[in-house]
Amino acid sequence: MESLAVPADSQNSLERVLCYLQGVNPQRIACFPLILNHAAKVLGVPVGTCIRDAELLGKAHVAAYRRYGNDLITFLSTTSTLAEAMGQKMDFLEHDAPQLAEPLIKELDDIKRVRLPDCARDGRLPVYLQATEYAVAEVGSEVCVSTLLAGPFTTAAALRGADVFVRDLYKNKEWVHELLELCCQAGIDFIDQILARKSLPIIVEPIGSGSLVSPRTFREFVGPYLKRMSDHIHAKGGGLPAVLHICGKTKPNWGPMREAEWDIWSLDGVDMAEAREFAGDRVCLVGNVTPANLLKNSPEEIDAEARIVCAKGMGSPRGFILGSGCEVPINAPGENLDALINAARKYGRFDR
Amino acid sequence: MARAREEILRDLADGVLNLDEELAVRAAHEAIAGGLEAYDAITNGLVVGMNRAGELYDEEEYFVPELLICSDAMYAALAVLQPYLKKEDARAQLKCVIGVVEGDTHDIGKNMVKIMLDVGGFEIFDLGRNVPLALFVEKAKEVDADLICLSTLMTTTMDGMATVIEMLKEEGLRERFKVLVGGGPISQAFADRIGADGYADNAASAVRVAKQVCNAAAAAA
Repeated sequence: MESLAVPADSQNSLERVLCYLQGVNPQRIACFPLILNHAAKVLGVPVGTCIRDAELLGKAHVAAYRRYGNDLITFLSTTSTLAEAMGQKMDFLEHDAPQLAEPLIKELDDIKRVRLPDCARDGRLPVYLQATEYAVAEVGSEVCVSTLLAGPFTTAAALRGADVFVRDLYKNKEWVHELLELCCQAGIDFIDQILARKSLPIIVEPIGSGSLVSPRTFREFVGPYLKRMSDHIHAKGGGLPAVLHICGKTKPNWGPMREAEWDIWSLDGVDMAEAREFAGDRVCLVGNVTPANLLKNSPEEIDAEARIVCAKGMGSPRGFILGSGCEVPINAPGENLDALINAARKYGRFDR
Repeated sequence: MARAREEILRDLADGVLNLDEELAVRAAHEAIAGGLEAYDAITNGLVVGMNRAGELYDEEEYFVPELLICSDAMYAALAVLQPYLKKEDARAQLKCVIGVVEGDTHDIGKNMVKIMLDVGGFEIFDLGRNVPLALFVEKAKEVDADLICLSTLMTTTMDGMATVIEMLKEEGLRERFKVLVGGGPISQAFADRIGADGYADNAASAVRVAKQVCNAAAAAA
């Protein structure tokens, strides 16, 4: 049976990914499972320890790459990391990602308490950057390393508390822009540090998801700042693409997302065939096997789901990359990630 | 001269629907001053506006910020009207215990469902977020709930929903409460697998599902 045979790769991971940048077909599509906190599991250390220790974090992601052969190493433990470096307190857990403690900005005036971070010192930015350096040195010649940070809208929501922040969008517009300005500047500073370490900066903007905010809100508060970030990556990235991940149902906001000029979209709760139609020849797509299924389903079910996603995404003019819709669950069984990557080998071929 | 009842009710509904808290509160004061029944003003004014907002949310015209601000306007006006409610206005309401399961602090989704259930006529007992699993069972027993609603955004905590259902079974209480589950990683398939009574993928449909499962229970009783 053909579905059981897994064709061998004839390119290494970096060669495969470079094909996308050069606009040629790889031997088979790349696969970007968003392995974040799951990497600690692969190394066999508690998540809470791993994400606060640069050496462990670097080793965990290299170990995950060696275990699975994912085509992108993705450094991120939570979308609140930039906010943390700007003064937001976090609750650290032993076996899960940290969660937001009480918001830093309780009153509007507390915006004065928000600081532009020093990437060498504040929060866990140094942990991310040192781990990035380690991975680039260790495996950067064979696989693309990326370091993720939240977009301005998500960072602002973390500093303020999402439930209050969404009300500010109507009641304190100018103030919101002032806060977004700070968050954007902090993000751009961090992007520069990531680029200096030869890693790919990737922006995640979950609070800009269509599951939460409208296209109008996106155009007013999300898009303009994302545009500045993509412009910055295009100007300073030495030819690197601007990569954006937004979780949840993004379809309502595809229009304003396109206006913000990101080259690669990593998508979650969408129909990949509709996304391909919309992306046309402007956007490369990544996605979107259901994250919870990577935890709960069998390898056979993952194979079947990935096959359908591939059928929908393949042929996208700017390229298609198989991936998980959002973070790979911490406790996902390894066989399910194997099944996902094998699906890229089986259903994403260009060599025949 | 005092305005007609219809005009005041329209302002109550419009204040909520159009995110205009000032209008809703002003209309609430006017309703009381003009001799309207508080119950009338709530059910035929505020609730009409909030239900319309829920429809717009369902149609992706409104999103989370709009729905939350509509509910702010509704609750502000409700605070004006509530002291004037008469005892006989109190209806027998279905009781719902709701919360975000242990290990998770994301509560926007839960809050949205809570608002829409409240508007839909349920009496809400909100346990908040990061709720110890046994507390759902305890509270449901204490208030003699009809419905338990469990929410989570995370894959690390979703199994807590199954644990709550297991706890109910162990205590021989599974048939006494309906259990609804929802949140980012939750699906109908997961709900079926853990033996939940219902699943909804957004706040508007949560109310429909909640009424369905509770009405089915009432019909069977």
